[in-house]
Amino acid sequence: MKKLLEVQNLTKIYSMGSIFSRTKITAVEDISFTVGEPEIFTLAGESGCGKTTTAKIILGFEEQTSGAVMYKDEPIKNLRRGDRNKVLREIQAVFQNPFSTFNPLRTVDSYFYETLINLKIASNRKEAEKKIAEKLQAVGLSFEEFSQRYPSEFSGGQLQRLSIARALLTDPSLIIADEPVSMVDASLRMSIVNLFKDLKERYDVSVIYITHDLTTAYYISDRMAVMFRGNIVEMGPAEEVLSNPKHPYTRLLRESVPEPDPEKQWTTRVHLAESEHEEYLQTGCKFVARCPLAMEKCRKLTPPHFEVNGTSVKCFLYE
Amino acid sequence: MNFVKRYLLPRLIIYFLVIFIGITTVFIIPRLLPTDPVLQTITRLRAQGAYMDPESTQRTIETLQELFGLKGSLSDQYVKFWQRLFKGDFGPSFFQFPTPVMTLIKQSLPWTAALLLTTTLVSWLLGNILGGFAGYFSSRRWGKILDYFAMVIRPMPYYILALGLLILFAYVFPIFPLGGGYTIGMRLTWSWNTFLTLLRHAFLPALSLLLIGIFVWFQAMKLVVQSVKTDDFVKYAEIGGIKSNKIARKYVIKNAMLPQITGLALSLGQIFSGALITEMVFSYPGLGTLLYNSIFTGDYNLLMGITAISILVVTTSILVIDLLYPLFDPRVRYK
Repeated sequence: MKKLLEVQNLTKIYSMGSIFSRTKITAVEDISFTVGEPEIFTLAGESGCGKTTTAKIILGFEEQTSGAVMYKDEPIKNLRRGDRNKVLREIQAVFQNPFSTFNPLRTVDSYFYETLINLKIASNRKEAEKKIAEKLQAVGLSFEEFSQRYPSEFSGGQLQRLSIARALLTDPSLIIADEPVSMVDASLRMSIVNLFKDLKERYDVSVIYITHDLTTAYYISDRMAVMFRGNIVEMGPAEEVLSNPKHPYTRLLRESVPEPDPEKQWTTRVHLAESEHEEYLQTGCKFVARCPLAMEKCRKLTPPHFEVNGTSVKCFLYE
Repeated sequence: MNFVKRYLLPRLIIYFLVIFIGITTVFIIPRLLPTDPVLQTITRLRAQGAYMDPESTQRTIETLQELFGLKGSLSDQYVKFWQRLFKGDFGPSFFQFPTPVMTLIKQSLPWTAALLLTTTLVSWLLGNILGGFAGYFSSRRWGKILDYFAMVIRPMPYYILALGLLILFAYVFPIFPLGGGYTIGMRLTWSWNTFLTLLRHAFLPALSLLLIGIFVWFQAMKLVVQSVKTDDFVKYAEIGGIKSNKIARKYVIKNAMLPQITGLALSLGQIFSGALITEMVFSYPGLGTLLYNSIFTGDYNLLMGITAISILVVTTSILVIDLLYPLFDPRVRYK
C-alpha cells in the first residue's frame, strides 16, 4: 500500500491561563501514523484526547509545536506555501455540525460554484454545473432539490450529505472527517458511514475518520489508532484492535459499548479521572490513575510502543 | 401573498396596537401625577400678587380646565384627546400658556434631530467599520490599541466624560464655547457665518456622544465578528478556496451586521426623547430639557406631545427595519 499521509512525531502544546499562571497543556504528544492510499484510518478516543487537534494541524488551521506532516513524501507546510490551492484540492474536510457548514445568509450553491471556479476545477458555469450534479449524485441528492436554496431549507441529514459533496467537489485524495455522524439521526448515521466506505471503493479516496463511536469505527475502518490524552496508545488493523484490545484503555473503551442484549447486565465499572488537567500533567503513562493494572514504573516512565500481533501498544504489559 | 399574510400583516397589527396602548398610557400616566396644573396656575397667579375672591377663583378654575382639556369625565377627556391628536394638536402648554405644544416641540426638535441623528449615524458607521476590522484582524496591533481605548472610555460615566471635555476644551483651552446652541443675541440667518457658529457650538456635545457611541458599537461589533470568524462555515470557505476578502465581506461582516442593524433601528428611535445629560452639561437646546421641564412643572400636554411623537418614531423605525430585514436575512423570507 502506498503512503499518502504521514504524521511524524507530531506535538502540539497549548499555553493556557493568564500572564500570572501559565499552564501548558500537551494536546498532542509525539504521535506518528501513516494513512495509505486508499484507506479508511480511524482516530478514536474520548473527548479531549487530541484527535480534533490532530485534524486541525493536518488541515492547516493550527500550527504544530514540533514534528511534521508529510503529504506524498513532502512536508505539507512547504506544499501550502508553494501552491495553496493544490493542497486545498487534495485534502478536504467534513466537520461534526452540519448546521454550521454553510453560511446561513448565502445559498448553498453559491459556495459550490465559487469553489470550482476559484480552484480552477471548472472554467465556466456550465462545466461547474455538470461537476456539481455528478458529486450530488454520489451522495444521493439531486441537482433540482439543491439549487437556489438556503441552508435553513435543508434537513440535518441533507446538509451533512451536502457537506460531503462539498468535500468531494475538488476530487480530493484525502478527506478528514471529524465526527461526521455524531450530530446526525441514528437512522441516517449508517447511510453516511456507508457513503464513506463507498467513496473509498469507488473513487479511491482515503479517509481519516475521527470518532468516539467504536461501532461505526469497527464497521468502516481498515486501520485505527486509539488516542488518550494526546498519545496514541494502540494502533493496528481495526479488526484486531477492537476484537482483541490490548491496552487497558482500549479494553475500557471496548467494554463501555453496551450490547443490545437485555440479559447482559452492564457491569463495567468506569473509573473517572480525578481531573482532566491532572491527567495531562501526569508523568509516565497518562492512564495510570485509571488503570486497573498499573505498575510502579508506569508512574515514572513513559512506556514505548511494543509490537504485539501486528498492532503497536504503548503499555509496559507487553514489554 | 404569503409574505403579506404571514409577515406584513401581523407586524402591522402589532404596530398599531403598540401605538394605541402607548398613547393611551401617555394619556393616563400624567393624570396620576400628584401635580395639578390648574391649581399650579392659580398658585402662580396668587404668588404674583393677584387677589381673587372664592367665586372668581372657581370661575378661573373652570376656564383653565376647559382650556387644558381637563373638563368632564376621564372618558370624555380621552375621546377629545384622540380627536385633537389626529389633527396633530396637543393643546396649549400649561406652563408656557398659551403657546401650543406643537410650537414648543418644533423649536426644540431641529436641535435634537441634527445633533443626535448625525452622531448616531456616524458612530454606528465608524464603530462598526472599526469593530469589524479589529475583530477580523484580531491579532493586529492597532486593533488591540483601539480595544484598550474602548475599555477605558466605555465604562466611564457619560457625564464625567462630557464634563471632562467641557473643562478641557472650553475652559482650560478655550477653543469651543462653554455652552448654548448659538451665541446669545445672534440672529439665525442662512449664512456661512451662522453655520460655523452652530457647528462650533455643536462640536463638543457631538464629540462626547460620538466617543461613547463609537466605542459601544466597536465593542459589540468586534465581539460578534470574532465569534462569526471561528464558525465552521468560515473554515469551510477557507478550505473551499473562497478568496479571503470575499470571506471577510460576505461570510463574516455580513453575518455580523444583522444584530447591529437592529441596534441602529432602536437607537434611531430613541433620538426623539432627546439626550438630557448632553443638553444639561453643554446647556444645549433640545427635546431632553423640554421633556424634563414638562415633568417638573406638571405640563402634561407637553409631556404627552413629546412622548406620543417619541412612541410614533420608535415604533415606526422598528417596523421599517422589520420590513427591511428579509433583504438582509434569507431565513426570515417567505416564499
